[in-house]
Amino acid sequence: MSATLEAEQLTKIYQEGAFQVPAVQDVTLTARAGEVVAILGPSGSGKTTLLSMLGCMLRPTSGSITIHGECVSDLDETQLPWVRRRYVGFIFQSFNLFAALSAAENVEVVLQLKGLERKSRRNESRRLLDLVGLGKRADFLPRDMSGGERQRVSIARALAGDPPLILADEPTANLDAKNGEQVMKLLHAVTRSDGRTVIIVTHDHRVMPYIDRSVRIEDGKLVA
Amino acid sequence: MVDIARKNLFHDRTRFIITVVGVTFSVVLIFSQFGIYLGFMENASIIIDNTQADIWVTSKNSANFDFPVPFNERKLNKVRQTRGVTWADHIMLGWANMRRKDGGQENIEMVGFNPETGVGGPWRLLAGEVQSVKAGKSIIVDESAFAKLGVLKVGDHVEINEQKVRVVGISQGVRGFTTAPYVFTSYRAAQDLDPFSQARTVFIVARVGTGYDPREVAGRLREIRDVDVYTRDQYSWKTRLYWTWETGIGVGFGLTVLMAIIVGVVIVSQTIYSATIEHLREFGTLKAIGATNRDVYWIILKQALINALIGYTIGLAITLIAVRTLGATGMVLVIPPGLMVAVFALTVAMCATASVVSVRKALNVDPLVVFRS
Repeated sequence: MSATLEAEQLTKIYQEGAFQVPAVQDVTLTARAGEVVAILGPSGSGKTTLLSMLGCMLRPTSGSITIHGECVSDLDETQLPWVRRRYVGFIFQSFNLFAALSAAENVEVVLQLKGLERKSRRNESRRLLDLVGLGKRADFLPRDMSGGERQRVSIARALAGDPPLILADEPTANLDAKNGEQVMKLLHAVTRSDGRTVIIVTHDHRVMPYIDRSVRIEDGKLVA
Repeated sequence: MVDIARKNLFHDRTRFIITVVGVTFSVVLIFSQFGIYLGFMENASIIIDNTQADIWVTSKNSANFDFPVPFNERKLNKVRQTRGVTWADHIMLGWANMRRKDGGQENIEMVGFNPETGVGGPWRLLAGEVQSVKAGKSIIVDESAFAKLGVLKVGDHVEINEQKVRVVGISQGVRGFTTAPYVFTSYRAAQDLDPFSQARTVFIVARVGTGYDPREVAGRLREIRDVDVYTRDQYSWKTRLYWTWETGIGVGFGLTVLMAIIVGVVIVSQTIYSATIEHLREFGTLKAIGATNRDVYWIILKQALINALIGYTIGLAITLIAVRTLGATGMVLVIPPGLMVAVFALTVAMCATASVVSVRKALNVDPLVVFRS
C-alpha cells in the first residue's frame, strides 16, 4: 500500500514571551491507504497540535508533511485552504455542524467548496447520508438529531469529495458506548472499502478494536 | 446552492427581525427627511419653475422669490430692447392682508401677472379662467389655501388690504414654502391693491429667441443698473438655497439624515457582530474544511446585503404609503426615482460598513478553534 501521509521530523515550537515551548518534537509518522492509525496520549501531550499540522491548519516550525505525494509543508499560507479542501476530511469531537443547515446541506457545503454543481452536490450528499445510515434524516437540522447522528453527519461531511485522508479528533468522546461503537465501525468500514487513510487522535480505549495500529505521544514526542 | 448567509440570517428570526426593523427605521427616516425637504424646496420655487420664462430680473440684492424688493417698472423697456430677448413682461408680488368671510384675517402673497399672456399666473385651474382676472379687482385663489382662508368659490367676495375683491377662479397645486396662501390677480389690480407698488414692479421675466443661450442673454441684461439677472434654474436654486441655509432647515434635515444613518449602522453592526460571534466556531469550521477568507467575507457581506435589501424594500413601501396618506392631508413628500436609487445605495453602503467589524473578527478566527470542545 502507498503512503497517503508522510510526516518527517515534525516540530512545533511556540514562542511564549522570552521562552520557547516545544509542543511537538521530531515526530515522524507514516500512514498508508486503507489504514486506521490512532494517536494516543494524555491531555496536553501534543496530540491536537500534531493533528493540526497534519491537517495543514498549523504550520510546523520544522520538518515536512507530504499528503498524497505532495509536499504541503512548504506551501504558502494562502494555498493551505486548497490543500485541506482537496486532501483532508475532518471529524471533530464537538461535531461542528452548521446549526442552520440540514444534514444534507452540511455535507453539501464541502462539495460546494470543491466546486461541484448543484445537482451533483445534492445527489452525492444524499448518497453519503445513506452510507452513514441517515438517508431518512437528510432534511433534519442538527438540533433535531442525537449526538450519534450528528457525528455520523460529520463523518458523511468528512467523506464528501472523497478525500484520501481523514483526520478525526476524539470522535467518540461526546458519545455513549453504543454510539461510539457505531461511529468507529462506520469509520473502519469506509477506510477499508475506499482505501482511505484515517488518523484518529483519542484517549478513548474503546476505539482500539477498530484501528490497525497506534502511536503514543507524550510531552510532544512519539514514544511507541 | 447552500446559502449559509441566508440560512444563518433566517435561523435566528428574532435577531433578523430586529435588524430589519433597524434598517427599515433608518430608511423611512432618511426618505421622510429627504422627501419633506424636497417637498419644501419644490414649493419654495414652484412659481419660478412653472412660469414660462427663461430669465428673471429682480432688484439688486433681492434675497429670494418671497421677499422681493420693488424697482422701477420702466426697466421693462430696457429688457425688451436687449438683443436676444423676444418677449418680456413684469410680475408683481407683494404681501397683503386678506379678511376672510368669517371676519378673521390672514397674510397672503399676492401675485400680479399679465392676464393676456398668463405668464406668472396659475397653471392649473379647478374653476374659472385665467383671463377672468382682467375684470377689475378680481382674484384666483388656490384650493390649498382653503384651510387658512376658508372654502371659497367663484363669485364670492373677500377683502384684500380693505378693498373688496371678487373670486373669479380656483387654482390647484400652488403651495408656497412660507405657508402664506398665494392669491393671483392682474398686474394692474395688484398695484391698485398695494399702495406702495405704484409704477413699480418686483420681477421682469423674459424669454430668449431661438438660438440664444439664456445665460448669454442674462449676461447682457446684467448691464442694466440696479438689477440682478438670473436664468430660471439659477433663480430657482437661489430661492431654494436661501431657505435651505438662511433658515437652518438644511442643517436640521442633514443632521437628522446623519442620525438615521448612524442609527442604522449601529443597529446593523451590533446584530451582525453578535451573530458573527455566535457563529465564530462555524466560521472556524468553514476555514478548516477549506473555505478561503474570501468565502467567509462574502457570507458576512451577503448577510448585510440581505438585511439592506429587505429593510430598504419595507422602508420604501412604508414611505410610499406615507406619501399617499400625507398627500391627502396636503403635506408634500417628494420621492423622485433618483432619490430611491440614492437611498438604496446609501442603505447598501450603511449595511456593508456595518459588517466591516464582523468581517475582521471572522477573518481573524483561528481554524484551530474547531478542536476546542
